[in-house]
Formats: sequence, C-alpha cells, structure tokens
Amino acid sequence: MGDFLINWIANVPVTAVPYALAALGLIISERSGVLNLTAEGLMLIGALAGAGSCLMLGGHPAVALLVAMIAASLVSLLFAVLVVVLRINQVIAGLSMVFFCQGLTGLIGTLAHWQNKQLTGLADLRIWPLSEIPVIGRILFMQDPVVYLTILIFFVVNLVLFRTMPGLRLRAVGENPAASDAAGISVALHRVVAIVAGSSLIGLAGGYISVVNVKLWVTGMVGGRGWIAVALVVFARWAPWPAMWGALLFGCIEALIPHIAAAGIRVPQYLMLMTPYLATIAVMIWVGAKDRGSSREPGALGQPHVREERR
Amino acid sequence: MNSTGPPTARPSAVLWSIMDDVSSQPASPELTSPVKASRGLGRLTLDVRQDLSPWKQAVFVGGSLLVGLAISVAILAAAGIAPLTLASELAGVMTAESLRGVLVQAAPLILVGLGASLAFRIGFWNLGLEGQMIFGGIFASAISIDDIGPASVRLVLMGSAAAIGGALWVLLTLFLKIRFRVNEIIATLLLNYVAINFLFHLLYGAWQDAKTAFPQSTPFRPFERLTDIGHGVNSGLLVAIAGVLVAGWLMHLSRIGFYTRFVSANPRMAKIAGVPLQALTVWIIAASGACAGLAGFVNIASQEGRLTQSFANGYVFSGVLIAFLSRNDPIVVPVVGFLIAVLFITGQTLQVFYQIPFTMVQMIEAIIVMAVASSEFLIRHRIRWIR
Repeated sequence: MGDFLINWIANVPVTAVPYALAALGLIISERSGVLNLTAEGLMLIGALAGAGSCLMLGGHPAVALLVAMIAASLVSLLFAVLVVVLRINQVIAGLSMVFFCQGLTGLIGTLAHWQNKQLTGLADLRIWPLSEIPVIGRILFMQDPVVYLTILIFFVVNLVLFRTMPGLRLRAVGENPAASDAAGISVALHRVVAIVAGSSLIGLAGGYISVVNVKLWVTGMVGGRGWIAVALVVFARWAPWPAMWGALLFGCIEALIPHIAAAGIRVPQYLMLMTPYLATIAVMIWVGAKDRGSSREPGALGQPHVREERR
Repeated sequence: MNSTGPPTARPSAVLWSIMDDVSSQPASPELTSPVKASRGLGRLTLDVRQDLSPWKQAVFVGGSLLVGLAISVAILAAAGIAPLTLASELAGVMTAESLRGVLVQAAPLILVGLGASLAFRIGFWNLGLEGQMIFGGIFASAISIDDIGPASVRLVLMGSAAAIGGALWVLLTLFLKIRFRVNEIIATLLLNYVAINFLFHLLYGAWQDAKTAFPQSTPFRPFERLTDIGHGVNSGLLVAIAGVLVAGWLMHLSRIGFYTRFVSANPRMAKIAGVPLQALTVWIIAASGACAGLAGFVNIASQEGRLTQSFANGYVFSGVLIAFLSRNDPIVVPVVGFLIAVLFITGQTLQVFYQIPFTMVQMIEAIIVMAVASSEFLIRHRIRWIR
C-alpha cells in the first residue's frame, strides 16, 4: 500500500504539468479579454512539433520543448488575427482553431511517419541530497526539470501579471478595453501579445505530453486535456495559483488510472478512463453551486474591441 | 456589439493599431483626430459600415469561401495531392455510382446539421453532437440486441429509441447549465469523451461480437437495417428530409419559431413578454439532441449495419459548419449537408487511395469556417488606405 501511494503521488507532478501550463497560458490570454478555446488544438501542435523535432533534430528534449513552444505561438498568430484584427466571434474562432489543428497535426504526423516512434524523453533531476530523504525525496526532489521550471514560470507570470505595469495594462484591456483605449493603451497589441505568450505555454504543455510524459506521438493524443484546462481556468477564477492546485487535483486523478490497473484492482478500463472528464464536470458543478453571483471573470471576456463602434 | 446606434459621426480609426502604437511613443490619446499626418506609406483605417447590399454581401462571402477552398487545395497539394488529381477525384465522386454514397452520407450530416442549428438558434452551444450520436446508436442497438418489439415495427422502435437517447444525453448538459450554470461548451465537449469511453466499454465488453472478436456489436438483422428506396439510396435520407421539413415548419411557420427568434433577440424581453422560456429551451434542445441521436441511428443502420467504434467520428464540427454556413436555417441545411457529404466521400477516397488521414476533412471544414467568418468583418467594416 505504501509503495502504491508513493508511486502514485510521485507521478502526480508529471500528469499535472500539462494542465498547469495550459491553464496558465489560457489565463494570460483570457485576462486580456480574449475568450480562448484553442488549448486543445495548440497542445496538439506543441505535442506534434515536440515529437517531430525530437525525431528530426537529434532528440534533445530541451530543443524539442522549445520548438513546441515556438510552433504553438506561430499557429496562435492565426487565432490572434482572427479575433483581434478580424473580430470574429471568439467561440467560433476558437473551435475552428481546435479542429484545424486536429486536422493539421493528424495530416503532418501521418505523412511524416512520426506516429508511434519512441522518443528519448527527459531524465529526472536528482536534487541531491534532498532526493535521498525517504518518501518526500522521491516525490518532491526526483522530478524532471520541467516540473521545477513550471513552478518558476508560475512565479514569474504571477509577478508580471499583478506586479508590473505591462501586466496591469493587460488586465485593464481585459476588464474595459474602451477605457484602456482612451487611456492610450493599445488594445490590439496587448491582446496579441497575451495570446502569443499564453500559447507558448500551451505549446510547452503539449510538447511535455509527447516528449516527456508519453514519449510518443499518437494522433489526437491530447485527448481532451485542453478542454479540461479551459474548465480549470473557470475553476481557478482566472488566477494562476488556484489553477496550479486545480492542475494538481486533475494530475492526481489522471495519475491514479494506470496505478489502479497495475495494483491489480479490477475496475472496467473504459469507465476508469472517463474519470478525468467526469471529475471536470463535477468541479464545474461545484463552482456553479458554490458561488452565485461573482465569477470574477474578466469584464470584457469574449468581446471584441472596435474603437469606432458605439454601444 | 451591434452597431445599431445612429450614425452620429464616422470617425476613422487605425486598423493596425499595433503599428500605430509602436510608432507613437509616448502613447497619446488620439481619439478625436480622424486623420493623422501621413508618414510615407500612409496607413490603413477602418470604418463601420451601416449596411451593405445583399449582392455585395454575397460577393464577400463567396469570395472568402473561394479563398478558404484555395488554401485547402494548397495544403493538399503540399501533402502530395496535385490539384488535378483532386479535381479528377471530385469528378469521380460526382458519378452516379458515388453519388449514391454521397446521398447515404448526406443523411446523418443533414441530421447533425439540424441538431446544431436548432440549438444555436436558441443560443445553446451544443458541441456534444458526437456524444448524442453515440447514445442514439447505443439506444438503437439496445433495441436490436435485446430483441424488443415485433420485427415489423423494429426500425421505428430503434429510431425512436435513438432520438430519446440523443435527447437525454443533451438534456443532461442543459440541466447542468440551468441548475448549476455549467458552461455548456465545455460540458458538451467533455461529455463526448465520456460517451465514447462508454461506447468502448460496451464494444470491448458485453456487446462485443463473439464471432469476430472485433470491437463491434453483432450485425443487425435484415429487418433492422434501413430499407432501400431505390438506386441504392436508403430510407435514412427520408428521415433526414422529414427532419428538415419538421424543423423548417417549427422555425418558420409555427409559434415556436417566433418564440425562438424572440428569445435569441432578447431573452429578458421575451421572458417579460410571457414566452415560456424554460419549456421552450428544454424542447428545442431536446429536439436538437434527438436529431443527433437519429443521425447516429441512420449511420449505423445504413452504412455499417452494426454498432462500431468510430461511427460518430468527425461529426461535431461538421454539424457546427453546416449550421454556420446555413445561418441556422433548417431549410438551407440539406444543401450544405449535401456539399459536406461530397467532402466526406472525397476524404474517404483520399484516405483509401492516397493515405491522407480522414482528419483532413476536419481541417478543411475549419478553414472554411474561418474564411466565411472573416467575411463578416469585411461586410461590417470598410478598410481604407489613407496617405
């Protein structure tokens, strides 16, 4: 039982990182007022780009993750043009992006023969001597570098969003674009930067799934984690640290699934695989039941800004 | 966001305010200066149009549709399908032989398109069409597997069960939305994954075909499959057309359609004016799910003849696309549905003969939606180059 628990909990950070990074990326872009449903698609782009560059560029995981970030940022420029410049309905644009990315990654992955090719992965970092502490050492100080990097990213993003002028401007644009515009803040610039910066984190989340976690590219491998991240943002009320705790919760659930089977507990496999989705819905119900009234969502979330349109 | 206000003035503004902002440091409020001093190249400005003639609108929509298709053709060319090959494959789809396949494929597509457009009309993002199709298929198969009812009415029973299955699955989300304010976009999408895992649970478990040991149900009996109405087209198309007529009547002629337009224009006003908002929403959404459930039934009872793993693949976004292009009008849905069926059959051909994965169809659909949605911007705004 002890081993079971340690193995399970030691695996939680690895499964939680994609949720955490994707949710953080979404928070950055939604704080600027852009309703972002693209996570599922951009994570696929990141996952494919990571796996592809792992296979083509000599298998350096760091390079692969960097390529994943860049690829997702580049694709997100399309979304930025659609919603910031062309002011398309953000739900339609986000959905189109997801299905576009699903189609594109399926196409490229198959044509380039990147399917089911084993990747090298990323070695765990042993923070000696802390890693030698029984139980806690295995759980906290023997993880791969990205796990620690994620925590650092959270600190940095939190700092930038809430303690610097650019962060303040970004949030102002999300709360009231017309007032921000009148104050001389460029709504379009801040939204585009927020989308691209957030998408780089979403791409990192996707690249992490293929390069570090699964060590394979399989078509559609993100499997709804992007949508869970979208739900996580609502749960976290658009704040970074609650998103981290939410990600850990979903990491716990996802990490449990293989361990249940490995421990010889007989639960129908496919019913087990439903749990992350059902848990997400349960969390959303809990959020809805808990607070009636303020959801703390950015004031202008989902609203395009056209300066010369009167309301 | 509607520009319904009176046109007091027509101030120009900078479209590329990024460029603008970078070059105008320190940032200064420039709200009232319509034309800034020209700097060399000039700049793009943006006006709001008050209205545009239907002809010009059609030109913009058609033009952007063409751009979208051109991009799709270019991507396919990059994937190794030369435009000429593509043209000959498309011509192949249009022959009498393949046209049957298109008509058979059109039936479930029209039904999911109806499902999507009904829900969108009342402002409910039903993105769970795949899950509803799956539950429609499961309910219909349950009738077959448990041998319920006499053979003569078996098909009707299966169809009704499918409609109920789809409706129940979407009403679950509606309940969550009304009772707990759960966002239906995420909930319906997540429930798709739940539905597909439940389908796998059945197909790899209790319902697995014992003879082949493949993850499929045992084949339906002959009287449980849609009957041929001539030329290889089965009665699924009749179901779809009946759906179109009923939905068209509901939306254009009946009181329900009037209420729906009222609610989508202004829900609060509609409620104050005495429209039974809750009941209306429940029934419209149930009809939406029932359409998707029927699509699942039509799909398994015609093409496959059994419940399979992937019979609902790729239908969510097809439904969204069909509803979007037909502007949620049930009468236009069959036209768009037919065109998407052509796309589906072409995609299947490319998959079989050129190893292009079927997800390509989704990519093209997404490009089309993006292109057509972009035309909305050109319809509502005028871009000008000012020196």
